Amino acid sequence: MKEMAPSVPIHLASGLEDGSIGTDVTRILDAIEAVDKEALILSDIGSATMNAELAVDMYEGEKTVQFYDGPIVESAFVASVSAGNGMDVAQIVEQLKMA
Amino acid sequence: MLTIEGFKQALRHAQSEIEANKDTLTDLDRAIGDGDHGINMSRGFEAVVAVLDDDYATLGDLSKKVGMTLMSKVGGAAGPLYGSAFVKAAPKFGDATEADFNLVKEALVEAATAIKARGKSEVGQKTMVDVWDPFLNDLNESDDFDAKLDQLVGATEGMVATKGRASYFGENSRGTVDPGALSSSIVLKAIMKEVE
Repeated sequence: MKEMAPSVPIHLASGLEDGSIGTDVTRILDAIEAVDKEALILSDIGSATMNAELAVDMYEGEKTVQFYDGPIVESAFVASVSAGNGMDVAQIVEQLKMA
Repeated sequence: MLTIEGFKQALRHAQSEIEANKDTLTDLDRAIGDGDHGINMSRGFEAVVAVLDDDYATLGDLSKKVGMTLMSKVGGAAGPLYGSAFVKAAPKFGDATEADFNLVKEALVEAATAIKARGKSEVGQKTMVDVWDPFLNDLNESDDFDAKLDQLVGATEGMVATKGRASYFGENSRGTVDPGALSSSIVLKAIMKEVE
């Protein structure tokens, strides 16, 4: 994805602080803090999804944050390319629904 | 009455019981899940015990801290579920430094509501909700809490899972006790013991 859409910032918020497998909602929130204005969150598996939904509920800032529940590889691909083409989160989600 | 020190003791007790049952929780989760519930709960509650050395002015403060800790440290779906439970219970405890049976029950009902909302689940799907909800329903101070919890955990064995990782097993999820139900009974037993 970095090759397909080099200008699109991609933040990983997977795993726990010590590197072990799992999801930590504070790492997702940190990743949201790191983006400029809008964030689209994708997840790979059920427990990650629940953590992502929790992060969206907990987020109290001004940025546009949305979670999309789709197959991660395809969704990440479509989202990166769409973002690289200048689409905003709302438009990207529409693209994802059609993919 | 549940005091701040009592709540801390309950959490320490829950942690040691989780450690003692870690392999069972893992085995149950391996049968109808992804095999990480024991490890996750162990890690989460170890982190909780670590924060108990701090001072908390109110039961609400302590409950919120426990919730936030579990949210980050558990790692699986149980993190947001147990985490939201304790965070949602916190405002009900509020500024109280001790809670009688009724207040504890009300706080736990808030916790159960949070679990159902976060997990988008309800009774009958073979999840931890099948312990939290019926346990609190009609709960009286004179009840045998441990017996009621044991019975509810046992009842999950014959259920088919329609929510969570176990639901992928379909009919094959029948015949195994739900791991989240077991860990819930451990946590609830520990808390109720300190209320007496």
